[in-house]
Amino acid sequence: MRNRYVVRAAIPAIIGVIAVTGCGSNKSSGGGSGSSGSHTVVIGMSAPLTGPLSALGLGMKNSVDLAIKQANAANKVKGWTIKFDPQDDQADANVGGTVAAHLASESNLVGVVGTLNSSVAQQEQKAYNDQNIVMISPANTNPALTQGDNYSSGNKSRPYASYFRVATTDAIQGPFAAQYLKSQGINKVATVNDQKTYGAGLVAEFEKQWKAQGGTITSHQTINPGDKDFSGVISKIKPTGAQALYYGGEYPEAGPLSKQMKAGGLNIPLMGGDGIYDPTYVKLAGPKSEGDLATSVGAPTDKLSSAQAFVSAYKSAGYKEDFSAYGAYSYDAANVIINALAKVLPGKTSIDSSTRQAIVAAVQSTDFDGVTGHVSFDQYGDTTNKVLTVYKVKGGAWVPVKTDTFNS
Amino acid sequence: MTQFLQQLTNGVVLGATYGLIALGYTMVYGIIQLINFAHGDIFMLGAFGGLALYDVLPHGMQDQIVIALPLCTLAGIALSVAVAVVMERVAYRPLRNAPRLAPLITAIGVSAMIEEGTRLWYPGAKAPLDFPQLLPSGAVTVGGVRISYASIVVVVVAVVLMIALQAFVLRSRTGRAMRATAQDPDTAKLMGINTDRVIVITFVLGAALAAVAGVLQGARLGTVRFDDGFIAGLKAFTAAVLGGIGNITGCVAGGFILGIVEVMAVQYLPSGSGYKDLWAFVVLILVLVFKPNGLFGEEVTVRA
Amino acid sequence: MTSAFLRIFDRYREQILRRTGPRGRVLLIAGVVLCLISSVLPWGVSGVGYTNPLGGNLQSVGIGGPRLYVLLLTLVACVGLTSVDGRRRSSLAASLGNLIISVYILRGLVHEGGGTGAVGVGAWVALVGSLVLFLGADTLPVTPRNVLPRLSAVADIALIFVVIGVGLAALVVGLDIEDDKQFVAFAIFVVALVVAANGLGVAAAFTSAFDRYRYIGYAVAAAAAFAFPFTQHGNAQWMAVFARVGVFAAAAIGLNVVVGLAGLLDLGYIAFFGIGGYVSALLSNAVFTTVHVHLPFLLVIPLGAAVAAFFGVLVGAPTLRLRGDYLAIVTLGFGEIFRIVAINWTGLTKGPNGIAGIPDLKLPGGFDFGKPHTVFGQLLPFQSNYYFLDIFLIAGVMVFFARVNDSRIGRAWVAIREDELAARAMGINTVALKLLAFGIGATLAGTAGTINVHIGEAIEPNAYQFIFSALLLSAVVLGGMGTVAGPILGAALLYAIPEKLRFVQDYRLFLFGLALILLMRFRPEGLIVSRRRQREFHEGGSGADAMSQPGQVAPV
Repeated sequence: MRNRYVVRAAIPAIIGVIAVTGCGSNKSSGGGSGSSGSHTVVIGMSAPLTGPLSALGLGMKNSVDLAIKQANAANKVKGWTIKFDPQDDQADANVGGTVAAHLASESNLVGVVGTLNSSVAQQEQKAYNDQNIVMISPANTNPALTQGDNYSSGNKSRPYASYFRVATTDAIQGPFAAQYLKSQGINKVATVNDQKTYGAGLVAEFEKQWKAQGGTITSHQTINPGDKDFSGVISKIKPTGAQALYYGGEYPEAGPLSKQMKAGGLNIPLMGGDGIYDPTYVKLAGPKSEGDLATSVGAPTDKLSSAQAFVSAYKSAGYKEDFSAYGAYSYDAANVIINALAKVLPGKTSIDSSTRQAIVAAVQSTDFDGVTGHVSFDQYGDTTNKVLTVYKVKGGAWVPVKTDTFNS
Repeated sequence: MTQFLQQLTNGVVLGATYGLIALGYTMVYGIIQLINFAHGDIFMLGAFGGLALYDVLPHGMQDQIVIALPLCTLAGIALSVAVAVVMERVAYRPLRNAPRLAPLITAIGVSAMIEEGTRLWYPGAKAPLDFPQLLPSGAVTVGGVRISYASIVVVVVAVVLMIALQAFVLRSRTGRAMRATAQDPDTAKLMGINTDRVIVITFVLGAALAAVAGVLQGARLGTVRFDDGFIAGLKAFTAAVLGGIGNITGCVAGGFILGIVEVMAVQYLPSGSGYKDLWAFVVLILVLVFKPNGLFGEEVTVRA
Repeated sequence: MTSAFLRIFDRYREQILRRTGPRGRVLLIAGVVLCLISSVLPWGVSGVGYTNPLGGNLQSVGIGGPRLYVLLLTLVACVGLTSVDGRRRSSLAASLGNLIISVYILRGLVHEGGGTGAVGVGAWVALVGSLVLFLGADTLPVTPRNVLPRLSAVADIALIFVVIGVGLAALVVGLDIEDDKQFVAFAIFVVALVVAANGLGVAAAFTSAFDRYRYIGYAVAAAAAFAFPFTQHGNAQWMAVFARVGVFAAAAIGLNVVVGLAGLLDLGYIAFFGIGGYVSALLSNAVFTTVHVHLPFLLVIPLGAAVAAFFGVLVGAPTLRLRGDYLAIVTLGFGEIFRIVAINWTGLTKGPNGIAGIPDLKLPGGFDFGKPHTVFGQLLPFQSNYYFLDIFLIAGVMVFFARVNDSRIGRAWVAIREDELAARAMGINTVALKLLAFGIGATLAGTAGTINVHIGEAIEPNAYQFIFSALLLSAVVLGGMGTVAGPILGAALLYAIPEKLRFVQDYRLFLFGLALILLMRFRPEGLIVSRRRQREFHEGGSGADAMSQPGQVAPV
């Protein structure tokens, strides 16, 4: 009987599958033991934990985990234990929406560290703001997130009162890059961007400053996130005589673009923002990427004296992944929330809407020295810290070449 | 003008890749009327097969393009062909007499499995992977137009394979059996042709050509990713329809036309580079509306 | 083939029963006894193993969690000792459920406790017991599914209440389980129970009862759907998920008109969903928008639907004259065109970033969808508002689907699907009717899309990739093509399970590919079966084949 044959064959298969793959245990990395108090408060995270940008996201996750463990161990928020709930947004705005809906529906959640991508943040801001949940990004750089859609026309207005960031914006990063390229004697630049919030914003700010200081934009090209064949774009840029290419976007596209530029005979440096400042970029772009440039927010973490304690604590905590570009910022972002909790929560027994509002207010008045420098926010929720660094690919790795405070 | 010629060469290289992939679609469709959605992923697997072998080659051989390129191509072919044969046997063959929707839906499932399987289990494939420099670097400049050696290799290999395939289908005994099966499987069976075997051979040939295209494209662009097959497969299918499905010469021509249209759109249309993936589909819809049998296809009667 | 075997088995059933009886009986009884004993013994060793026991304390004597499941399934498996039709299927399902649960728990105990030392005596007894039980069940003869006697109108209506009630209870209990492993054990239990009940003819009885008292059935189902938010105790998490599931279910029913009724494979369906979404997003004055217009939502719904319908006709009109598989590829191409345009037309769509900060819906009477409301003393989170809106949407779409299905148009669609040439010869205007189906599908998708963006509060082109068309399609295929309830079930399973089991999320698309292949191979008619469809997919078998399996659930 066919029926019996199928049933009998299924048994070893099913049991084998269970025995091998089994429970798929995913113990969430809770933030330490529950010894310090009976009440639980949750800090969430939205970052790409899988996918092409996971190197950055996992560094963010571990750093926040570290901050929370330290706070619990030191009993920083009296009577309360902090729990950590990291969620994977896959650097995808659509997934981000689901993550936000999930996190915002948790009744004990008061703050979220994230996101990595400006485009994802844009999809999450409202869900948190509606519930008065603090959102602090260590990496979003698009100015519109804090200053509103019309920031470039000088008409700034803050769309969401609960959104903050500890990273400097593209309104600073783009011009900083323009100033640096100019100082290197370059006059003609072509730009390419991936049309995402981050990439397009960065290029727009770069171009504004570049033209203001008398430079020429020889070509302005757009690509789509996920593209990989850039031969058409490169052939189009080549005859324009650009001396450098400024790219707004992230390393999964920037790496192959740089590689194909050089293979296609377009031997000019590619410069980008913090979205390409990652070792993976150098790997994807190949050995000919020597001399490519990137700006990133803040001073190099391991050069910063204030960051030494963080770096050594991170190392001794034994995380598998490196803290990467945004680890120190995520650590600071988590501590901003923890400090606000320490002010608001003691003496309270539950979290309601007024508690959350008090926490947002406490975050707004943040004022302390973090590992990346002094942390405080202006009226838009932007950081007041405006330090940036230019990195260059040398010997197959990013090397800092210039750290400075931006002034226009 | 130089710029036009420069972009034309880019288009020809792109078109050669589309043509190679399209052959697999056109042959399979010609013989069992199945749009094999997973064919684009077979193309992607070719690149991963080549990459996998490259990673285990000793260093001395890695640098010798003359040795490494053929070896990696063979590895790519081996992987693609193996998966294609399993796919045909396990997923498609049992459904040969099922309603038409069933194999199409199965093909979508196969495509998802190959793509996701690669992403989940090929080491590091969740991010784009670096593909080794398997093609010669450098270029010749003819009248201001820069033609890289890499693109010459791609086009030459593609054209040679296409001619060889055409000869195989027209001249060899198996080729004749393929044509007979395509025309009328039942009669072919009565004539003593093992149609199952012929169908497997068709899948094998298509997969091998796609794998070559995969390795060449990986080497030319310097990067591979698990979802490369999706858009490439769609465009290749468009090329096949454009040339008249089931028609090998037409299919190759369709590939070149599509490649050139795409590159020219990038060059001459405003914000063309952003819209570059769009034109294939616009062309597809226009062709189906105005010339459903393709540019080179003969009138085909609908078989029930 | 199968039916011939079944008839032979039917005739010699008594003999076969006698021949395989004694050995099977001994195995069955032994298995039942062992399983019953195991369900009260401790499965873990105290002090070792799970710190988070699988429902109740596994380390001590008592019944709870997986042990309760084993107990109940063992009781079900006792039908193997009777002579009821379908006993083989039922007791096999129950014993297999037991076996899988015990292996799963054993592995969990070994894994968490760091060795076999953590495994209590009960788990071992359960493993052996369910294996013996399974071998015993396997000796039972193959019989057709049981046909439950039809009692009375009261019994029929009671059955409708009980089945829907149990379904709702299972959903509530399942969602309440927070631990992944506990949930997996519970899911295995439920699946085994459903298969076993199906073998005993419960599904068929339910279907015929539902058919007879259709309006009562729908009323009970609607009541259960309305009751669901009240079981969540103000918790927003699942309301957020099910608000989304509802919209996808409505879109899936629309796709079912196209695929299930008219037999047109539309692989760009998500684009129409997206078009409705963009229309709605642009006309609601979002925070990050390009068009500063705010139209009332009751006006936006028909607008979004109309724009989607317009594009549906635009794509469908020229291509529907062609062969079916060309339509598939053209719609796929259209889906990509939509996405590429949405990415690049930054002046309207804001490109890859999409339009964010879409405000919550407000009805003319001042009802704000963004605020929680207290109903019957229960605080319902704001997501429930959207969930209720979904129910009205789905109800409307279902009524529409059912009416069309039973009309001349519906029959004409089926005729086209079965044999287009013959249909044309019968005087059916195939192109016009196919276009109608395509347009209706697009309209329904557009309508669902307008609501979807308000739930998500943002819209972004990558939410409309091909893979989401494929997911919707598989919701239809999994649930059952051509049925009304199928796509709802399919959408609920495909969208809610990955939310519940977050560890499968990464494997979601892989599993979905595998599921499509297996479904097409072994059960192309889906979970809920349309009788027409089943015949079509099992062509070659005699008509008696379909008739001899009355346990199949007919379209509801």
